[in-house]
Order: sequence, then structure tokens, then C-alpha cells
Amino acid sequence: MQQSIKHIKERYIHLTTIIIGCCIFLFWLFYNPVHNFTEAVPGLDNRPPRSSSLGSEVIIGEHFTFFGNAPDPSLTGRWPNFRGADFDNIAKDNVELIDSWPATGPEIMWEKDLGEGHAGVAIYEGRVYVLDYDERKERDILRCFSLVDGTELWRRGYSVPVKRNHGMSRTIPAVDGEFVLTMGPRCHVMCCDATSGEFLWGMDLVKDQKAEEPLWYTGQCPIIDNGVAVLAIGGNALLMGIDCTTGEIVWQTPNPDSLRMSHSSVVPMTIAGKKMYVYNALGGLCGVSAEESDKGKILWTIKDFTPNVIVPSPVYVGDNRIFVTAGYGAGSALVQINKSGGSFSARTLQIYKPSEGMASEQQTPLFKDGHVFNIQTKDAGTTRNQFVCCNPDDFRNILWTSSTTERFGLGPYIIADDKFYIMNDEGELTIARFSTSTFEVLDKAQVIEGDDSWAPMAIADGRLIFRDSKKMVCVDMRANE
Amino acid sequence: MKKDKIINRRDFIQTGIRTGIGAGLGIIGFGLISRSVEGKTIWQLDPAKCVQCGNCATECVLQASAVKCIHVTDMCGYCDLCSGFFRPGALELTTGAENKLCPTGAIVRTYVEEPYFEYRIIEELCNGCGKCVQNCGAFGNGSLQLQVRQDLCVNCNQCAIARSCPAEAYSRVEPETAYLLKGFEELKITD
Ligand code: SF4
Ligand code: SF4
Ligand code: SF4
Repeated sequence: MQQSIKHIKERYIHLTTIIIGCCIFLFWLFYNPVHNFTEAVPGLDNRPPRSSSLGSEVIIGEHFTFFGNAPDPSLTGRWPNFRGADFDNIAKDNVELIDSWPATGPEIMWEKDLGEGHAGVAIYEGRVYVLDYDERKERDILRCFSLVDGTELWRRGYSVPVKRNHGMSRTIPAVDGEFVLTMGPRCHVMCCDATSGEFLWGMDLVKDQKAEEPLWYTGQCPIIDNGVAVLAIGGNALLMGIDCTTGEIVWQTPNPDSLRMSHSSVVPMTIAGKKMYVYNALGGLCGVSAEESDKGKILWTIKDFTPNVIVPSPVYVGDNRIFVTAGYGAGSALVQINKSGGSFSARTLQIYKPSEGMASEQQTPLFKDGHVFNIQTKDAGTTRNQFVCCNPDDFRNILWTSSTTERFGLGPYIIADDKFYIMNDEGELTIARFSTSTFEVLDKAQVIEGDDSWAPMAIADGRLIFRDSKKMVCVDMRANE
Repeated sequence: MKKDKIINRRDFIQTGIRTGIGAGLGIIGFGLISRSVEGKTIWQLDPAKCVQCGNCATECVLQASAVKCIHVTDMCGYCDLCSGFFRPGALELTTGAENKLCPTGAIVRTYVEEPYFEYRIIEELCNGCGKCVQNCGAFGNGSLQLQVRQDLCVNCNQCAIARSCPAEAYSRVEPETAYLLKGFEELKITD
């Protein structure tokens, strides 16, 4: 009897243990310790679907004001587009320039207030062109000034809403004496007569060509090649040529890889004996024929280096090689173009992060005498914000730097009269001797007071034009005046 | 009739000791109070010196560091591509975890109107790692900054982070300047 009671007790104990075990197991199985976690999925920011509509129709070229006054005919200098006539940011007009600032400070010839932004100027034989934004009237306005005294000659524009997004204006016009061509922040192209300002034609690249406006508006500076406007679209077409006289599309490049518009500009280069337009699009770098026989044909594409923001333009660095760079942690790549028979191919020689070699966020590096010069990005480690030099055979090997006491920022730099002119973010302009072996400061001065003096500079007839976010200044740099 | 109280030796000694302890505590209390009210200084880091080494997240004596990311909204560009919110090379500008930089999901992004987005820090989730601060400083306006939250900090005699800070960014500051935010001199926030 006692035996059986003990037996029953044991059974109960076992049963209870099993039931408790099962309960614990089920609790473990079904309890979700992260039940109050929110999954990080797309859409939590309540962003509505993207719309390409600007609300009202944009009538390109609708507003015009003529102020008169012809510029001085003795001025023949040209800086006709972004990075000058040869797209290399090197002045070649042999005007002797100052090595040091006058004791009284920079000789300011004239200055003009502009809408907030980073748009630089083009100069053509005494005329200065800038695509400004009038915030009060909500207009992109192409303004033409006299280089001599800054008198405004005419302005042509159109109403378009642009909200402040790290400034408003962005790009540099292209001018060839006959035509002046602009690209608005929201991808509106306008072509006018360069002298009279007469409106010739316009194109809305988003509406008409299915381009996608890049983040912070477009920074693409258009070019004119032999009377044809060359534009990167990254929509229906990758690149496009438009007759400046008629506004007709004369050639277009298909876009099979759906590459998209970046802030980079199209750069004409001659590689392996072939003239081509090189464009660093979002999604890939490509070369498009610029020769009459096959104009607009894609010659090569490479997709090894695909940052999601690209501002600097490609730089030809000799021996059929192209250097591309971008900010926001992307770094740089060196690409070799090969020609075999009639076809071209591209191969990446170097690709690296900004802390491992030369890299730029906004400005396009300089190439001269077999060396490349650049201001390093903020995330470049010890060389951060320094002006540096590399041999294009190895961009990881920085040959020299401007030293830790000479740091710059996102500002522009050019070469003129065998000197570097380097602007920092706060309007201080440094003059340094051009050299491939060392950095030697000749002088420096505060030339403009405001912030974000980032727009590319332009120089012609010894007059240097630069700007900060709200003001444009022309300084006389001639040594013998 | 009131009975005269006779104080014996034991009572006298006990009362004396009590009075002594009471007076001592009073003096110490007074000292502490006067120290905490008048010349009190508190720990703060200078964002201009900080190199975002990561020690602020790991060295604080508190389990979740007293150092938090603060968003100086006046300096913010309200950009779509916020380099403090998105990891470098993010494939898409969405709130998907794969695109975000903050390891704890402490930054909330909200659409305002084209092209602006608002960024907000959930302090309870922030561990002060400084990743967002580093990227915002490198590619953006530098509006994200690390600060010791004075409502959380227990004001250690020797701040454990200060001891290990490679940038010597820590110092004792007056309560009137409890926060040292970079960029806007007029932002002298007191706790
Ligand atoms: S320990 Fe110093 S350098 Fe490191 S994150 Fe903190 S304040 Fe910055
Ligand atoms: S990245 Fe680090 S410092 Fe920035 S919010 Fe997230 S946890 Fe805080
Ligand atoms: S004083 Fe103490 S609690 Fe405050 S930040 Fe330093 S270690 Fe953390």
C-alpha cells in the first residue's frame, strides 16, 4: 500500500515537472523579448512619392531687362566656361600677375551683391556672365556685366521656385562669343545671344527629357562645342547635343544603363587619339564620341566607382588615364582607357578611400607638368584640408602637402602665371608658387568677408573674379598696373 | 512643583557627543551646500576639440553614458542626404536599417516639405558613440555635437571620460555655461 502511494506521488512529481517544463518551453518559444522594438524600414520618415512638378509652368527666357552700355573693346581675355577654355583651370593668356598683395590690400575693381549660392562666372572679351537667383522674385537670372567696372548690361531670366538648400544658384554659364548657355539649379537650360541677351531657346531637362534633379539641385555646368550645346541628361538620353542656333537636338546618346545626372560636368578629352566627352554620372563613368563620324556613340562605360554624390569632374592625367574623385566618404579612382582595333575599354587601376590618397569633395583637381594638385577632403586623415600633390602613377602616394598650418577647405584654386591662387572657405586668398616639388606660400590676404567662398574662380585680362555666398568681387591681379 | 533636573556624568558625555556630531554634520552640510551653490563646477566637453574617438560611449561610469548627441538645429541644412543619418554610400535615402548610420537607431528623420527633412535625437537611445557627429562634421554643417547631459551626469569628482579623452576636450565649467555648443556663440544654454 505504502509502495503504491509512493509510486503515485512520484508520478505526480514527474507530471508536474513535465507540465512546468512544457510551460517554460512554450513561454520561451512564444515570448518575443523585442516585441516593443520598431523595425527600421523604408517610409518611416513619411516622405511622399517624388514629384517632378514645380507647381506652375516654367517659361524659360520670359523676363528680360536691358541696361545698355557696351564693354571696353580692348579686353580680349576669355574664361568661357567652367574651368576655362581648356577645362583645366589654368589661365594661359600670359598676363603677368602679382606675387604678393599690395600694402593697401587687394585692389578691388568692383563688387556686386548676388542671390545666395555658389554660381561662378564665365568671361568673354569684356563681358562677365553669371546665372544668379533672385529670391524675392523667385527667378533664375542670367546677368551680363562689364568686366571693366561691373556695370550690368542686361539680364534674362524666368520664374522658377528654388528653396534655399545650401544656397540656390550653382552653375557657370558657357559662352562662345555668339551664344551663352545656362543650366538652372532645377535643370532648366537656356540659350541666349551672348551680346544682346536675345532669347534663343530653352529646355526643361526634367519635364522634357526625364532627367532626375540631383540632391541639392544640379551643379552641372553646360558646355558649347562648335556651336552645339553638350548636356548630360541621365534620363531618356545619357548625353545630348543641341544646336545652339535652332534648339534642335542634333545627336543623343542612349542610356542603356540608366545612369543619372550628377553634379559633375561633361569634359571633352582626347584619349588614344579620339576626341570624346567624358562624364561621371551617378552609376558609372563613360566616354562618348565627340567626333563627327560617330558623335554621341558610347565608347566605353565603367561602373567600379559609383558614389551616390559626385561633384568634381573627371580629370585627364596623361597616358590615356582619367582620375575621378568624390566626397562623402567615397574617395577616388584612376581609370585606364584602352583602344584595341576600333573599340575602347576601361579598366580601374586604383580605387581607394579618402584617408588612403588624393580625394576631393567639391573642386576638380588640377593637372599640370605631369602632377595633380588638390585640396584634401575633411575625412582624409592627417592631410585633411591640405593642398597636396601626387604623381598620377600612384594617387595613394602624396608627394607633398601644404603642411598642417596651411589648411584650406571646399574653396576653389586655379593656376595662373605660374602661381597657385587658392581660396579658403572664409574668403582668404593664398598666392603660392607653382611647383611640383614643394608648396611655397608667397602671400595671402582676406579678399572677401563672407562665408562659403566656394564658387570656382575665373580670370581674364588679369582680373580675377570670385564670390562668397552673397557677393561677387573682381580684383585687379595685374603686376604692372 | 518643578523637579530640578540633575545631570549625571553619563548624560553630560552623551549630550556632548550628540551636540558635537550635530555641529560637525551641520558644518559639513553647510560646507557642501555652499560648495554646490556657489563655486560649483561641472564637467563638459568642448565639441571644437572632440575627435569622436568613441570613448564617450564606453568610459562613462553610467551604464548608458551621460554623453549624448545634441542637434543644433540652427546650423542644420535639413538636407535629404544627411551625412549624420545615412551611412556613407547608402544605397537609398530611406529609413531602412541598411542605410542608417546610428547603431542604436537614435536619430529620427521626418519629412517637412520638399527638399527639407527634420532630424531629432531620441536621447534615451543615444549612447554618445559620436558616429553621426563625425560624419556630420566631415560632410555636413557640423550641427550634430556631443555634450555631457547635465541632468544625467553625476558629476564625478574625476570624470572617467575626461581621464581617457585623447583630445583633452573635457574641462570643468561654470553652471552658467553648462553646454559648450560649437558654431553659435550666443547659444549659452544652462541646465
Ligand atoms: S573622449 Fe574626448 S575625443 Fe573621444 S568622443 Fe569623448 S570628447 Fe570626443
Ligand atoms: S550615432 Fe551615436 S552619438 Fe549619434 S545619435 Fe546614434 S548613438 Fe548617439
Ligand atoms: S562626470 Fe561621471 S557621469 Fe558625468 S560624464 Fe564623466 S564619467 Fe560620466
